[in-house]
Amino acid sequence: MSETIDPLADPATAKACCAATYSSDLVETLLGPAYHPGGLTLTRRVLAATGLRPDDRLLDIASGIGTTSFVAAAEFGASADGVDLASDNVATARKAAVSRDLAHRVAFHEGDAEALPLADATYDVVVCECALCTFPDKQRAVAEMARVLRPGGRIGITDVTADQTRLPVELTTLFAWVACIADARPTEGYVELLEQAGLTIDLVESHDRAVSTMIDQIEARLTLLRMTSPDRATELGLDFGQAGTVINAAREATASGVLGYTLIVAHA
Amino acid sequence: MAGRERDEIFLELTKSICPVCKAVIDAEVNIREDKVYLRKKCAEHGPFEALVYGDAQMYMDVQRFNKPGTLPLTTQTEVKDGCPLDCGLCPEHKQHACLGLIEVNTGCNLDCPICFADSGHQPDGYSITLEQCATMLDAFVAAEGEPEVVMFSGGEPTIHKDLLGMVDLAQERPISAVVINTNGIRLASDKKFVAALGERNRPGRRISIYLQFDGFEEATHRAIRGRDLRAIKQKALDNCAEAGLTVTLVAAIEKDLNEHEIGAIIRFGLTHPAVHSVSFQPVTHSGRHVQFDPLTRLTNPDIMHAIVEQLPQWFQINDFFPVPCCAPTCRAITYLLTKGSPDDEDFGLVPIPRLLQVEDYLDYVANRVIPDWEIQEALERLWSAAAFMGTETSMDRLQKVAEALDCADACGVNLPEALTDLTENAFMIVIQDFLDPYTMNVRQLMKCCVEEITPDGRLIPFCAYNSVGYREEVRAQMSGVAVDAVVPNAAPLQPILIPGPYGAKRERR
Repeated sequence: MSETIDPLADPATAKACCAATYSSDLVETLLGPAYHPGGLTLTRRVLAATGLRPDDRLLDIASGIGTTSFVAAAEFGASADGVDLASDNVATARKAAVSRDLAHRVAFHEGDAEALPLADATYDVVVCECALCTFPDKQRAVAEMARVLRPGGRIGITDVTADQTRLPVELTTLFAWVACIADARPTEGYVELLEQAGLTIDLVESHDRAVSTMIDQIEARLTLLRMTSPDRATELGLDFGQAGTVINAAREATASGVLGYTLIVAHA
Repeated sequence: MAGRERDEIFLELTKSICPVCKAVIDAEVNIREDKVYLRKKCAEHGPFEALVYGDAQMYMDVQRFNKPGTLPLTTQTEVKDGCPLDCGLCPEHKQHACLGLIEVNTGCNLDCPICFADSGHQPDGYSITLEQCATMLDAFVAAEGEPEVVMFSGGEPTIHKDLLGMVDLAQERPISAVVINTNGIRLASDKKFVAALGERNRPGRRISIYLQFDGFEEATHRAIRGRDLRAIKQKALDNCAEAGLTVTLVAAIEKDLNEHEIGAIIRFGLTHPAVHSVSFQPVTHSGRHVQFDPLTRLTNPDIMHAIVEQLPQWFQINDFFPVPCCAPTCRAITYLLTKGSPDDEDFGLVPIPRLLQVEDYLDYVANRVIPDWEIQEALERLWSAAAFMGTETSMDRLQKVAEALDCADACGVNLPEALTDLTENAFMIVIQDFLDPYTMNVRQLMKCCVEEITPDGRLIPFCAYNSVGYREEVRAQMSGVAVDAVVPNAAPLQPILIPGPYGAKRERR
C-alpha cells in the first residue's frame, strides 16, 4: 500500500481497495505465498467431506499454486481444474503439475470466480478454500459455482466466519481486510448464500482452531518483518503498533466466537 | 452380561525387559486418565508399571510423524534371540544411525549423583586407545558411508589425554561434524585446549560442544552434579564463545528438582553468544540416579508444557514437532529465528513452525502430496537427531526454509537476504526422553537412530546400551573387572536394592 486511508472514515474506499489489496504486497508479505488456513489437513478433510471419488472431475476456485488440485488428483484419483485470478499463480501451478507428473490429470486456468471461463454442468465437485470471503460479489461467485456443477454435484467451502455486529472496531480497519476478516460472514451467511443459489446443505463443521493458527501465522510474519525489514514494512503502509492491536483484538474475537472458521458441504 | 469396565484403554502389545533381571517380557501400553503407561510382568520379579508419555492425546497425534527408515550400508550382528538381545545393529533394525556415540573412557572428574554411565573417580574402568577409536570410527563409516555426526562422550572425554587426536581421526574421515559431550570443567580452566578445538572447527568439519547445564540454583547443581558448578559453566561458555565454538546446553531435568528452571535455561541460552541450542532430557533412570517413582516420572510432553507455562510470551505447545526419523514419541524439536538478546527492548523471536506448516511436510502417513520437495528435504534434515547448530547441513537447510518464506518478487522485501543474519541467530530446542529399564519399548528401540559405537565395532542403540546390559558387558570386557547388572533406583524396588561399587544400584542376592 503506497497510500494510507482511514477505512472507518471512508468504508467505500476501503472496500474498493480490498480486492486490489488481496493480491497486494502487504498481503503477500503477511500471509505468505502459499497461505492456507488449516493446511493440507483441512484440504483433505473438505475433499473427503464432498465424497470426492476416483475419476470425479473437481474444480478448485482460487487455486493458488495448485496444491488442492494435486491432492485431489494424487490422493483421491480425481481429475482437477484450478482457476485463479493471478497469472503467476497459474504459471507456477502448471509447472508444478508437470514436475509432479500430474499434467494429464490437472489443468489450471486464469479466471475470475465471478465469471468462470468454464462450461455449465461440468464438475462433480467444486471446492473453494478461504477465498469466498474475499470475493466482492459473493452471490454471483456462488451462482457461478452452482452453474458449473453437474446435477447432484457437491460444493465444499472452507472460510473465515465473522459476526459483523459484534466485531470490535479494531477489526474493521484496513488491516482487517488484509486478513479476510472485514467481509467475512457468519456461518449462516455462507449457508444462506449457498441456499440462495439453489443448493442443499449437507454438512456444517466448525474448525475454529484454524483461525487461531492463522492469527498466529500473521503475527509471526509481522514479527519477522519487524526483525528483518522494518523500513520496507513501513513503506508498505504497515504500522506495527496498530497491527499488534488488531492481532490482540482478533485473538479475543476468536476466543469469544465472533471470529471462526467453517467447513460447509452442499449439493445441487 | 459382562462385568464392570476397565479403567484404561489398551493401545498396544509390545516387548520390554524386566528392570531387575533384564529378561525379555511382553508389555502392554495403556491410556489411563489421559496419560500413557507401559506395564509388564516378570515371572520372577513381579509386575512393573511406568509412565511413558504424560499427554495421551499428543501420543496419538504424533504417531503420524513417522518417516520410513533408511537401511544402513552394513549391519554388525545376526538376528538370533530377537530385539533387544541381538544389538547391533541387526538386520531387523528399522533405521540407520543419525548420530554415533563414542565413549572414550569411564573415568570422570565429577561424581554426579545422576549419571547414566555410572562414571566417576573410580579405581577401575577403561580408556580407549587411538587405535581403538580409529576402529570404532571405521565401523561407523562402514555403516553410514558419510556419517553426519560423531559425539565423543564418556566418562568425561576432555580428561582423556588423546581426545584431540581422536577428533583428528574423526576429521580425517568423511564425518561432517564432531560433538564433544562434556561437563565443561576443562573448557573453563584450559584455554589452550579450547583454542585447539576452535582451530579444528572449520567449514565441512565442524566441532561443537554439548555442555551439561541443568540450571542456575545451587540446590540444582548439588542435587544433580554434587557440586556448585555455576561459575565453571559460565567460564566454559565464555571460553567457547571466544574460540568460536557453538554450544548446546544440555539439561537433565528431574521431577520436583529443576523443572522450574526450564524457561530460565532457554532465556539464558538466547542471551549467551556461544549458545545456539538447548536440549532438555528427562533424567534417564538407567545407571546412577536419585530415587524416583516410575509412575510419576517426567516425560517429553511434561517438558513441553513446562516451556509453554514458563515462557508463554514466546511458545505454544504446537511449536514443537516430533522428530520423524526415530520413533515419534522419543524426540521433539523446534527452531526459532531471533534478533537481539531477550534483554533488548526490540528483541524479536519467531518459532519457525508458525511460518510454514511443518505438518504438511512431516506427516508421513497422510502425505502423498508434498507442497515442495526441497522444503521437505530441508525440514527432514532439521528435524533429525543429526541436526546440530553450526554445522553446514543445519545452516544450509535453515537458509532453504528462509527462502521458502520469500516474497521478494511481490513486496521487495528480500527475506532470504534479510534472514542471512537471522539464521546465524537461529536457535534450536530439543526435547529427548531416553528409554530406561522401566519404559523400554522395543517398538521405539527398533527405530532408534542414536547408536553407541562399541570398541569391537558394533552400533548399539543408545537406550539398549544403557538399559539392557550392554554397558556392563562392554565395561567388563574392556576393564577386565566384573560388572554387576545395574538396576534402576525406583521407589518400588528399594527392598531388593543395594549400592553397587560405582553408585548405581544392583540387586541384593
